[in-house]
Amino acid sequence: MKNRLYKYCLASFVAATLLVSCDDELDVDPFTEGNPETFFNTVSSFQNGVDGIYSQFWNYYSDPGSGLQGIPDILSDNVILAQTGRRSNEVYYDYRYNPNTGGAVSLYWSEAYEAVNAANLVIGQIDNLPDGPDKNNILGQALAARAIAHFDLARVYAMIPTQSADANNSPGIVYLKVEDGDTGDPFAQPARETVASNYAEIIGDLEQAAQLIGASNGEGRLNRNGVYAMLSRVYLYNGDYQLAINAANQVTTTIVDATEEGALLAVYEDASNEGIVIEWSVNTSSESGFNNVGVLYSQTTPPNTVSEYVIDYEFFNNLDPNDLRAEVMQYDATNQGNNYNAVRKFLGETDEVNGRVDIKVLRAAEVLLNKAEAQFEIDQAAALATLNILRNARYTSYTGGETGQALEDAIQYERRVELSFEGHRFFDLKRRGEAVQRSNNGDLADGSGTPPEILTLPAGDYRFQLPIPIDEINANPNMAQNPNY
Amino acid sequence: MKAKLAWMLTPLLVLCMSFSFGQEKTVSGNVTDQNGLPLPGVSILVVGTSNGTQTDFDGNYTISASQGQMLRFSYIGQKTVERTIGASSTINVQMEDDAQALEEVVVTGYGSRSRELSTSAVSTVSTEKIEAFVPSTSVDNILQGQAAGVQVTAANGRPGQTAFVTIRGVGSLNASTTPLYVVDGVPVNSDFINNLNPNDIESFSILKDAATVSKYGSRGSNGVVLITTKQGKTGDARITFRSSFGFSERIPDPFDLMNTSQKLELERQFAELGVNAAQSLPGATADDAERARLIGLDTNWEEELLRKGQIQSNSLSISGGDEKMTYFLSLGYDKNTGIIDRIDGFERVTARLNTTYQAKEWLNVGTNISLSRSTTDLPRDRNNVQNPFRAMYDYNPWDPLYLRNADGSIQTDAQGDPVFNPTTSGFPIAKALITEPEDNRNFLIVGSLFADIKFSDKFTNRFTVGATNNRYNRTTRSIAGGVLNTIVGAAAFPGTQTDNFENTLQYNVNNLFTYTDTFGEFHNLSASFLLEYNENIYTDLFASARGFPSPEIPYQEVAAEATASGSEEARRVLFSQGLFVDYDYDGKYILSGSIRRDGSSRFGPENQYGYFYSGSAAWNIARESFLEGTAVNDLKLRASYGTSGNQNIGDFNFLNLLEFGTYNGNTTAIPIGVGNPNIQWESQAILDIGVEFGLFNNRINGVVDYFKKNSKDLLLNQPLSQTVGDENNSILANIGELENSGIEVSLNADIVRAENFVWRAGGNISFLDNKVISLVNGDDIVSGTFGYNILREGEEINSYYTVRYAGVNPANGEPLYYDLDGNITNEYSASFNTILEGKSPYANIEGGFFTSIRWGGFGVRADFVGKAGNYIMNFQRQSGISIGNIDSNQRVEAFNYWKQPGDTNVLPSPLFQGTADQDSDRWLEKGDYIRLRTLTVDYNLPGKFLDRTGIDRVRVFATGQNLFTITEYNGDPEIGIGSNESSAAGSAGFIPGAFSLFSYPQTRSYTFGVEIGF
Repeated sequence: MKNRLYKYCLASFVAATLLVSCDDELDVDPFTEGNPETFFNTVSSFQNGVDGIYSQFWNYYSDPGSGLQGIPDILSDNVILAQTGRRSNEVYYDYRYNPNTGGAVSLYWSEAYEAVNAANLVIGQIDNLPDGPDKNNILGQALAARAIAHFDLARVYAMIPTQSADANNSPGIVYLKVEDGDTGDPFAQPARETVASNYAEIIGDLEQAAQLIGASNGEGRLNRNGVYAMLSRVYLYNGDYQLAINAANQVTTTIVDATEEGALLAVYEDASNEGIVIEWSVNTSSESGFNNVGVLYSQTTPPNTVSEYVIDYEFFNNLDPNDLRAEVMQYDATNQGNNYNAVRKFLGETDEVNGRVDIKVLRAAEVLLNKAEAQFEIDQAAALATLNILRNARYTSYTGGETGQALEDAIQYERRVELSFEGHRFFDLKRRGEAVQRSNNGDLADGSGTPPEILTLPAGDYRFQLPIPIDEINANPNMAQNPNY
Repeated sequence: MKAKLAWMLTPLLVLCMSFSFGQEKTVSGNVTDQNGLPLPGVSILVVGTSNGTQTDFDGNYTISASQGQMLRFSYIGQKTVERTIGASSTINVQMEDDAQALEEVVVTGYGSRSRELSTSAVSTVSTEKIEAFVPSTSVDNILQGQAAGVQVTAANGRPGQTAFVTIRGVGSLNASTTPLYVVDGVPVNSDFINNLNPNDIESFSILKDAATVSKYGSRGSNGVVLITTKQGKTGDARITFRSSFGFSERIPDPFDLMNTSQKLELERQFAELGVNAAQSLPGATADDAERARLIGLDTNWEEELLRKGQIQSNSLSISGGDEKMTYFLSLGYDKNTGIIDRIDGFERVTARLNTTYQAKEWLNVGTNISLSRSTTDLPRDRNNVQNPFRAMYDYNPWDPLYLRNADGSIQTDAQGDPVFNPTTSGFPIAKALITEPEDNRNFLIVGSLFADIKFSDKFTNRFTVGATNNRYNRTTRSIAGGVLNTIVGAAAFPGTQTDNFENTLQYNVNNLFTYTDTFGEFHNLSASFLLEYNENIYTDLFASARGFPSPEIPYQEVAAEATASGSEEARRVLFSQGLFVDYDYDGKYILSGSIRRDGSSRFGPENQYGYFYSGSAAWNIARESFLEGTAVNDLKLRASYGTSGNQNIGDFNFLNLLEFGTYNGNTTAIPIGVGNPNIQWESQAILDIGVEFGLFNNRINGVVDYFKKNSKDLLLNQPLSQTVGDENNSILANIGELENSGIEVSLNADIVRAENFVWRAGGNISFLDNKVISLVNGDDIVSGTFGYNILREGEEINSYYTVRYAGVNPANGEPLYYDLDGNITNEYSASFNTILEGKSPYANIEGGFFTSIRWGGFGVRADFVGKAGNYIMNFQRQSGISIGNIDSNQRVEAFNYWKQPGDTNVLPSPLFQGTADQDSDRWLEKGDYIRLRTLTVDYNLPGKFLDRTGIDRVRVFATGQNLFTITEYNGDPEIGIGSNESSAAGSAGFIPGAFSLFSYPQTRSYTFGVEIGF
């Protein structure tokens, strides 16, 4: 009997141990994630949120396969596919993309909207901060970032207002603002707005940001200059020439002077930030595994450089011998015994060839070019003067003095050269309603080799608008595909 | 099994023993079964002592004992026999089948039952079958084709890789459809199953129907695989040593790749036709001298990159016991180098100790502990030439392995080593395998402790504590001067390394309190109450550094700069209560029921608890008097219905979360994943009706089951509009309902059963059907890694969804497609994507069969596996004949392109590269196959040669694996993972076997071995 009692005691003990408050154990909180509803309550936590938006930009601008820093050049006449490369992005170079195509088509759409979502998260909770300059600076950064993400979406997937007469009324993208109640429903299936409405909202956000944002926020972050510089670009895309000039005039950053030995190269090797207004930065020590944007153009295994895209023969050989930019644009590279005019701009930091550098989103030189192009529509003499500011810093000597068509051509030529390989050319041709016209030269440095398969993308071609990715079409029945896809 | 063993050990019989102090002498004899066939493995114990032995393969035994002592002969499924030793030194015993139905015990959820009293569909795979599969180092691969209703797809051919096991079809659309693995009562994460030693396993029990899986509640819906490891048997120590050695090779493709002259010719033709990508290739540009030089090189890249793998397996086990204690101890060593040259492959060392001890008359305690350490290389499994299996097809035969000097000699570097050729791809994979090593080490402990307490004849209690702990280390390096370091590394900091450390601890405590009683003469009742607590704790650490002084020192201690580090934790909890009731009337009419309540930390506060129940019944017709004396030994009808759940989802899916990272060295906080507070348990209802039969002294036996499994509230990532800005562009939601139904048949027969000749055959086959019953709002969901599958109401799950190819226009060679209206067009558009009804990655028929012959000491056994009705997107073929891939090597088939009007059965003309190279059902192929999985020949040395050697048994064997395959698929049809880096197992959209894209292929192997028993 005693024995049995002992056994029952043992059993009850075992059972009791198991029963006691196990239900409480079911409440487990996340370990390494934060709560988006409660996290944002200090200036520094809000800045973490804003830095999060910048990291989204970094993701899609620097992607080594599809970065927005390079794809618009690959889609243009600046570069040619190197036959000894990996033929990466050939489907883009040959304009064979469709809604199923991976890479750029799906990347920008998804990542830019993530940036928008991150921005709206910050904007929606901004009143957790007390009124004052800190709050304004956070809100200004977030609004500007939201505008830039939407602007990237709009120029990639929709027409640009100045592109053609029907552009403004054509389908734009979806502009999402937390303050308008556009967010919060994960099952929302929004339809496209018009291009005109998109640009109005982009400009609205940027103008509001310009009033709020601080003058200096440190490397890799937006500031007052950055917002006005972006406004000068957006106004130009929107055909608001006087406003573009006004915005450009607000930018205080001066351009880097290429006549100073090594000054321009230092910018591309990240030794200097001179003349940079907006950049998405990377800390190549603590972030040594981050994207290497230079891979869009080449990878280096000394002594070979496996170039994917090299400089178009005509474009490079037409450079003025006095043009100091040739040094940062090109270097002689060989692969499998072939010589190429390889793209130098994103080769790496000083002494590096790994392609991991900051993304140059907007430089003071572009602000000058935006201004000159806008001035050309209003006051040609002023346009020439603005252009000459840039040329003075880029040539050892030049003729200049153009008027009329020659001036317009000069502005566009300088734009092509100055902003080459930095993600502009395709958009510049697109917004001006021009065709992509590639030269019929080969890929090798001497112009021999294999010419491009597709020489022309005619003005007005549907492929100037990238297709909406198939995943979006599948998930959102209200999303209209671009024509002809 | 254990219960049975415990029963045999019950010391009540101690009372019966008689003491005698006679002279020790050697008693020997032969033990046979009811049919007079020798019975190996029978336990023989001198009652009242710890002195025992077992019969050898020929049924012979020898034991020292004294006259007057008693020998007890026991064997599972046979009546125990006792004989008192008399004057004679020979005692021969013929055992009888145990009429009291203990002939087969099935391990079911939380215990075991005699098969006769079981009301559920359970497939058992026993030791005998497992041992025929020695070449497989992984436990889950063994199950393929062995049990009805179990679909096994090898993940890929990488040594040490696990397999995808699904039970009764796709129960869940969620990435995880793996069953719950329970080893000796301890749940073990399926990722670790490959680290168990197959030689340690006594049996697998696969629980398929509600009667058993409901007992596992929220983890049961994908089925449960119970693994029981070997236990010692009372008697003298039995020592078994087994060693085998062999080699493996890639299974040859059913197509040819081009050699240099063929490739040059194709390049010439393409260039002539104006294919842009061919213009700069040597076929277009080389002069005659260069052409001759290239043809002279003619590299066979398979030979340069792959090798014959070596397979080695050694194991030692020692087992035995006395009346109070049993033990089973084993050691194992396995090595499989795999077929990729220049890396090490897989290596595993295992150890196990299982013991039981009858501590008190009412208390039996035991432990099952296993330790396992494995190391494996991880070659990159991605869709480019960083993967040797893609490189082997892509590299041109005119590219040599090493760079050549102008005089044709091999280039050497400053150290005099040959310089690897980066090839046209720009990536020398042979060098990368050396300079980009990635390997992992796992140390796995699976342990359980149990105590069986017998309060009285009616009340018993089993208390079990089990834990699995896996320690995972991974080291990834890019060595200075290596392929990737020069491309993406920093010149100032040569060499990079990342070390990961992950620790996964799962512990499980359960207590099962059981009441058993008999009312009147025939009413047997038992009821059990279960309490179970399960917690999974995962922690990880990682660190990266760069700047290594020497590739010889792979430790970050010596690195110039630490670049990144981190730590993480995750935890989940499951707490359950259950009540299981079994009733039978004289073993003829059987009823069982169960109910279980689970609480899980993976669901929001509103939906934390779920209830799962089952009811089942069986009728043992064979026990009815009208079948007495007939050829029917066994006939049972059974039916069950019940529910189970699935909580195989990530943690915290019910919450919105913020993720932290860095941007330019500053902390970032970005939203990841939209939480869904409404998610609740996915649940399944399974109906099962089965019949089991045994005829002619059980020489023919079989099982037929019909089942219908409805999975409701399916948890799946529902695609969202990307404008929402969700990181994964999806939200986990309960999205609909699926139905799987099927018929499973398994049949075994002893065709000839003579004294010296036994011919057996058997097999199983499952016919499976599945469809999507309902989806939220009836909306389709496009699924799969590349969006080429779809869920649509009324259609097969994950039916293919792509553009339909209409062949080549015989007039001009242009590829044609069907538009959505079914019209043939020369355009290609993704908007033509359409469902291909009835074509899905899932097989409709799956099964395996074997035949074996034993003639004296000789034996032969062949095992076949196969499936039919599934389709595979053959992207490997697309890559091998795409016009745009002319800069890579091509299949010889690529010559067969349209050349002149009227050509039919041809590939599109290279002039139409733009529309020809597109994804469509042109690449969709039937995945049907039958494969000779293993063929084993063995020979047991006759006992007479072993007399007085001290050796009980010597067996030599040879096994061939994957010796031949019948299939129409253009490649190897056995595909699980298509490409690990595009679509890892468990990643969003992953569907096993949906496409082939250069993952590690299956291999063919030949092994030879010997087994010695003492």
